[in-house]
Amino acid sequence: MSLQNSTSKFNRWLDVMFRYRKHTGSWAWILHRFTGIGLTLYILVHIIALTGLLKGEAAFNEEMKLFSSPVFLFAEWFLGILVMFHAINGIRIVLVDLGNGARYHKQILVFVYILTVILVAGMGYLIFAHV
Amino acid sequence: MKVTLNIRRFNPEKDEKPYRKDYEIDVPETFRILDCLDKVKWDIDGELAYRRSCSHGICGSDAMMINGKNMLACQVLVKDFKKKYITIDPIPSLPVIKDLIVNMDSFFKKYEVVKPYLISKEQPPVKERLQSQADRELIDEAVNCILCGACSASCPSLWSNENYLGPAAMLKAYRFIFDSRDDAADERLDIVDTTDGLWRCHTIFNCVEVCPKEINLTWHISQMKKKCAMREL
Ligand code: SF4
Ligand code: FES
Repeated sequence: MSLQNSTSKFNRWLDVMFRYRKHTGSWAWILHRFTGIGLTLYILVHIIALTGLLKGEAAFNEEMKLFSSPVFLFAEWFLGILVMFHAINGIRIVLVDLGNGARYHKQILVFVYILTVILVAGMGYLIFAHV
Repeated sequence: MKVTLNIRRFNPEKDEKPYRKDYEIDVPETFRILDCLDKVKWDIDGELAYRRSCSHGICGSDAMMINGKNMLACQVLVKDFKKKYITIDPIPSLPVIKDLIVNMDSFFKKYEVVKPYLISKEQPPVKERLQSQADRELIDEAVNCILCGACSASCPSLWSNENYLGPAAMLKAYRFIFDSRDDAADERLDIVDTTDGLWRCHTIFNCVEVCPKEINLTWHISQMKKKCAMREL
């Protein structure tokens, strides 16, 4: 019974999460969550990748070569999108929480998106201009 | 104008599980959703259950999720909807008693937690307690709340954690914390300065989007966050 209860509770939660109307603020929150989770996973990958250091210089350099392949450059660029959005929206959240930003959060969000696009484009240039 | 209402039905005495049902009605475009529900109840299915009282946006009893967004059924017109297929659910996260009626006990318990009444350490004055215009402006928005529950029931933080106080209760805390006539600001700040209080607000702004009184709840919550942060310095 209690298991059934909790599954039906979970189903209602899922139903509401999906069906409830999204808007500017909730999209920003969803993006912030997903980029946050993405970055946390990246830290794990990053640490695992760096274990090559323990196997000596040659092994490490060999591994680094792999990371300069186009696929990884793209992955890195994508990572840049996560970092940029998460960081800039983080500033928006600080303005909302500790400033007067709650009155202007939609306008600030427009800036966040524009700034993210500009920085990601710039980053793309830096990454791919030298390939 | 032809309108179809898709309503989530549940009668615990008969139904094992909630189900959805379509009701086709023909109404003038100036009808409110509440009028449509009345029409369904009076003409088609007398068993349909929902709360309503004032039908003019004052009592706060008919908050429901209409087309995926919480609102007062008495405050939206049929013509406000582009598609004439309108879904109606009870407001999320509260236990359903029947059809669109939810059990608001937890909502009001949380409201009581923040001590929603004046606490004054002073001798009661002979006449009224005076307040300057500037002081009153601080609570201008907050006093307008009609306790409909639309905001708290729209909050993803509350959907995921039923212990969260929710925006409505915290708005009430603000209303007294920032009231110049009240003397228990610190006491109330202690109540909301917890992980199930202010700090579970992730500034999603769902509450602000739905409040029928156009109260910017997140702003009020942020003012208390600021106050709590300042206390620590
Ligand atoms: S703040 Fe607005 S949405 Fe929330 S209970 Fe009060 S009137 Fe309803
Ligand atoms: S019936 Fe009173 S607020 Fe809608």
